[in-house]
Amino acid sequence: MRRLSSWLGRLTLVVLPVLVVVGCADSDTGSRVSGSLVHVSVKDFRIVVTPDHVPGGETELVVRNQGPDTHELIIVPLRRSRLPLRLDGLTVDEEALRAIATVEGVGPKGVGRVRLHLAPGRYELFCNMAGHFMAGMHNKLVVG
Amino acid sequence: MPRRADFRPFAARGRRPILAILLTFALVSTVTVALSISATKRSQHRASVVEVAARQRTLAERYVKEIVLARAGARVDPRYTASVLARSADALLNGGTAPAVYGDDDETKLSPARGPAVRGQLEQERRLVVDLTATGNALLAHDPVARVPLTAHERLELKDPVLRLRVLAALTSNVSLNAARTLASSTDANINRLIVLQSVLGALGLLASLLLGWALILATRRQTAHFRSLVTSSTDLVLVLGTDGCRYVSRSVMQMVDRAEAALLGPGFEALLHPEDRTAVQSAAGHGGPPEIVFRVLNATGEWRHLEAHVTDLREERWVRGVVLNARDVTERIKLEDQLKHQAFHDSLTSLPNRALLRDRLDQALARAKRSGGLLAVLLVDLDGFKQVNDSLGHDAGDQLLRKVARRLKDVVRESDTVARFGGDEFALLLEHVTEHEVVALAERLLAGIARPVVITGREVSLGASIGIVLDSGSGHSEELVRDADVAMYAAKDAGRGRYEVFCPEMARKAGELLGVDHELRVGLQRGEFSLHYQPEIELATDRIVGAEALLRWQSPTRGSVPPARFIPIAESTGLIFALGEFVLREACLQAAEWRRAGLVPDSFVTWVNVSAKQLTGGSLETVVCAALEAVSLPPSMLGLEVTETAVVENGVAGERARAELEKLHGLGVRVAIDDFGTGFSSLGHLRNFPIDMIKVDGSFVRGTVDDPKDAAITAHLVNLAHALGLVAVAEGIESEGQLGSLRDFGCDLGQGYLFARPMAAEQINELLAAAAAGGNQELADPDAAVA
Repeated sequence: MRRLSSWLGRLTLVVLPVLVVVGCADSDTGSRVSGSLVHVSVKDFRIVVTPDHVPGGETELVVRNQGPDTHELIIVPLRRSRLPLRLDGLTVDEEALRAIATVEGVGPKGVGRVRLHLAPGRYELFCNMAGHFMAGMHNKLVVG
Repeated sequence: MPRRADFRPFAARGRRPILAILLTFALVSTVTVALSISATKRSQHRASVVEVAARQRTLAERYVKEIVLARAGARVDPRYTASVLARSADALLNGGTAPAVYGDDDETKLSPARGPAVRGQLEQERRLVVDLTATGNALLAHDPVARVPLTAHERLELKDPVLRLRVLAALTSNVSLNAARTLASSTDANINRLIVLQSVLGALGLLASLLLGWALILATRRQTAHFRSLVTSSTDLVLVLGTDGCRYVSRSVMQMVDRAEAALLGPGFEALLHPEDRTAVQSAAGHGGPPEIVFRVLNATGEWRHLEAHVTDLREERWVRGVVLNARDVTERIKLEDQLKHQAFHDSLTSLPNRALLRDRLDQALARAKRSGGLLAVLLVDLDGFKQVNDSLGHDAGDQLLRKVARRLKDVVRESDTVARFGGDEFALLLEHVTEHEVVALAERLLAGIARPVVITGREVSLGASIGIVLDSGSGHSEELVRDADVAMYAAKDAGRGRYEVFCPEMARKAGELLGVDHELRVGLQRGEFSLHYQPEIELATDRIVGAEALLRWQSPTRGSVPPARFIPIAESTGLIFALGEFVLREACLQAAEWRRAGLVPDSFVTWVNVSAKQLTGGSLETVVCAALEAVSLPPSMLGLEVTETAVVENGVAGERARAELEKLHGLGVRVAIDDFGTGFSSLGHLRNFPIDMIKVDGSFVRGTVDDPKDAAITAHLVNLAHALGLVAVAEGIESEGQLGSLRDFGCDLGQGYLFARPMAAEQINELLAAAAAGGNQELADPDAAVA
């Protein structure tokens, strides 16, 4: 009996701190997911937005790079059917747009996050690294 | 048992931490250097990769241009560019050599890419290069590009072939650039880690240095403390002397002289040095040698302490700058040496110089006399009558007497003169710068001083002395002078004792002869040159042989047959008579025992041996006689001793001793006869009391019995006297029948002489005795026949 109680005591000492840490982590995650959570998967050379329709308001975009190359994600409200290109004909003219958020250089297997307050409307998500947009790295997110 | 190498008091404790710190320091330094080298190589590689990656962008753009130009008919070689692109992409991924481009740059050697992210990007670049060149080839071949299979792309919806080619080129250049960035960022992270690591290692190195310094300081302190304790607790005396005086003294030095350190440092120590030794110590301090010095230091009680020091020259040693003396206090040893030296050169009884010291001083005096031409004298003083005092009052009294005589001798001479004891009762004096007259006067004073009565153990004792004097002006040798003084001293004794004699060459001649014979006698005794002859004694009434006189014979190889009258006096004067006498007694007893054992003689037969006065007074006669008798089991009554009148009638201690000796022997049964009776001046009263059995009438009277009435009358009276005293009368030197007849008429009991038999060797008398034993009375009228 005494050995059993000793083992229980030790188990308590090990488990209790773990539970405390896990509890803290859950509470942190909970605070992040308030609003909408949009998973944006980027890879060579495609962008997948899940879900592509979210209600307006607070939105967190989690960008996961699943390709071998480095990528970025620029979010702009979509006002025209096509985004304007620079003179090189290969990259979007960012200066002509009003980007509401940018997730810079997410490396392979990397994750980037951005929290936005999105008003209802259509938004274009694209990677503007040289040739990436033209190669097909753009997609839409509908809010509202 | 611990080995000597195990004893490492200074290193055992401090060495391990120091070694550990040094090893840590070395390890940290090695790791730091290795990391630095590695980081530098990585930086070089990174630069190469970035350069090649940047070049890929340019190549991709040029490839597009070359395709467009080629389609327009220009002379360009896009395939070469594509080849360079592909080979460079492969080199970036798998390592190898990235080719030069038209000689614009050098070939670049690359290592295989590391890390999954970089490798993923470079693999993508390679796929894009494949897609790009495939698209370019399709364009050159005017084939539809949409059919070109893509490896790096899921789909590419661009219809314009050139745009499609440009996008692929842009993707290629971009991924290449991204790979370079990834590599750069990872390298930066590595460099940051390296900086942190090197900082840590540097800190560790600094800590190790501090620990090392600390450990060294501790070790140095420990060693210093150890050495200090060794020096301060050592019984050895340690001093450091410099040109400015004493710089260091160990505690043992302070204890030895019983003074404080301040009193010894600087000039203080030199002030305590013995004036005779100061120069030697100052010289050692100034020159660093000699290796060993001995000097004296005054301690607080005023005693000079002798120090024996080993000198070590450390004047060039930076931390010493002086001469180190490792000294030991050898005072006791030197005292002992002095004592031993004194004992070696002085007589322990009187504390006077001994023979060796006198000889040494005499050598020096001779050298001085030779230089100055002065006269020196050696006096040899032998006490007369000391032996009697020693024998009668005992050795302690004798010692007291010698001490008193020594004092008297010293009282008489000058302070500068040497009085030595040669041993026994013999003293020697060495006088320098004297005249013969002064020496003679001194000798007289010495005789007078010694002659003064001395009271020893309550008894008043008077002594005399015989003094031999030799004078020399430096031409002689010490041995010769002492020998000459000895000769002169014996001359004084021979001249009647109680006087002095100055040596003269005539004495030397006599002494030389005497010494020569004495030497031959001693050698002859060892070589068996001596033998006994026997002359029978005849009972005149019966003509029977009733005894024999043993007579000593010396057959010298150089001198021939030497008669006893020639060598016996010499033997007596040199003391050899004792050895000779013992030889005669031993041989005579042996011969008598053989006769007796052979049945040649009855137990009444007496073998007579002559005994000198010296033997009688020598104190050992009884012992020698008893030993000779016992050795052969001869009855004492078969041995007779013949002594001269003068030996037994002498007045004084010697006469008393002789008589006592004879009484003891006579008491044992040994026969005693007075030899040469009538020639001395014997007191009849003495004779009456003597233990005598027989009187031998001297042959000088016997020879005149026929022709000289006076001799006849004396002989008759002597025979009558013997009979009156109850003694046997023996006539010596019977040579004729007439003499024999007269003696028979006088009633003489026994006779001896050539008429009966000459002295003969043992073998001859054996035959004579054998014949006598076999045939009764032997006719001895023919002495020559008997001798033959």
